[in-house]
Amino acid sequence: MKPLLDFLKGKWLGHPLHPILAHVPMAMWPGALIFDLLSQCPIGGNAMVRLSFYAIIFGLAAALLAAPTGLVDWSGIKKEKPAWKIGLYHMSLNLIVTLLFAVNLALRWQTFREASEVDRIPLLLSAVGTLILICSAYLGGRMVYEYGISVARMSKKKWRKLAAAGGANLPPEKEKPC
Amino acid sequence: MLKDLLEGKPLWHPIHPMLVHFPIGFLVLSFLLDLFSLAFPEAPNLVRCSFYAMLLGVVTALLAAVPGFVDYSDIRHDHPGKAIATRHMTLNLMVVAIYGLNLWLRSSALTESQINLVPLFLSFIGIGLLSASGYLGGRLVYDEGIAVGRHKRKTPTPQDTLHLSTGYAAKDGETTFVSVPNAEHLRNGETLRVEIDKQVMTIARIENELYAFQEFCTHRFGPLSEGSFHGHNVQCPWHNSGFDVRTGKVTNGPAKVDLKTFKVETRDGQVGVLITKEHDQKT
Repeated sequence: MKPLLDFLKGKWLGHPLHPILAHVPMAMWPGALIFDLLSQCPIGGNAMVRLSFYAIIFGLAAALLAAPTGLVDWSGIKKEKPAWKIGLYHMSLNLIVTLLFAVNLALRWQTFREASEVDRIPLLLSAVGTLILICSAYLGGRMVYEYGISVARMSKKKWRKLAAAGGANLPPEKEKPC
Repeated sequence: MLKDLLEGKPLWHPIHPMLVHFPIGFLVLSFLLDLFSLAFPEAPNLVRCSFYAMLLGVVTALLAAVPGFVDYSDIRHDHPGKAIATRHMTLNLMVVAIYGLNLWLRSSALTESQINLVPLFLSFIGIGLLSASGYLGGRLVYDEGIAVGRHKRKTPTPQDTLHLSTGYAAKDGETTFVSVPNAEHLRNGETLRVEIDKQVMTIARIENELYAFQEFCTHRFGPLSEGSFHGHNVQCPWHNSGFDVRTGKVTNGPAKVDLKTFKVETRDGQVGVLITKEHDQKT
């Protein structure tokens, strides 16, 4: 179990995995909205309809991969920390967004090969999904930039050395993971 | 101020890492569509789709570059992350140049059913460099703590470390006065990062008084010279540990160990700190 958890935390890579994978849905789904809108204009015609379809699929595939890595990162946060609650909201919103884009994809499945523009309902779903996604991604960013989740997790030995060389008071060597 | 805006301080979140999702996502999508065009030549429009994805990727990359340059310029010159940031920026400039050329090569063959080998090869190289660069960008945040907690600080952070010396080899336990002329010019909430014979410290002005304490937080060793001040507390930018600058005592976790503090004095009209030579300890 532990090797799997370490793998999902990105220890082998020296970089947390969740924020890497999260780039894909975060780009693809707002991108799908852009392509949906361009298809109405009409710019690109069926190429935009298809591009939007491919973007949603790619985003879904990456979101499914990103979910377990996010869950593992979140489970490492203590429940009494403010970041735990933010993580919970972040996760709930992501679940909603993923479901919305899954439905969105299903609605396009029959028509994307021929249609020259995206229908109203999938377009609306892209817009709502993108809006919720932006909120959720902002919360994810807050976890890093406000609360330092995953920051100096893998580099703490290096920083400890620099602090020791700089004459700092140090905590005892064996730190509990947090 | 424009710099604060581009650093995302009003949003409490840096702008550059928000925008980079788009070039990374769209350029990878473009490469996947290229590969699909080779695998499924009967599917129409894949080459055209790939071109549009790439175009959007390049446009958003140029947008992301602007706050990126600002973030880069704000990293302290002797920060261990500065060299990584330089590599990250260089790679990104190369990626943009390669994709600019790539777009130009493709623009005349949008109706083909399979992508040509030269633009495909350029995309392959581009994705390789982009992955390396994105990885380095992530390391800047997660290892080096660049831009973490930056929005909490209201004043500019030190651009350099001030290197000073006691000027002679003090004996163990001997206390020496070292004058720090720059400290006098500090305004409230501003800091200096000072290194005196390997002892690294922050000197801060709070409510018109100067205080000196160790630079490194006692939790994960974040830079207190880039911290924010709340009354007489300094807050670490990374995980929000708080310390009373007068005593060094922990006022807020996760840190558990107090800071080392140094006395600030004025002697013969010169501001300086008192530094005591310690036994050389192995840590």
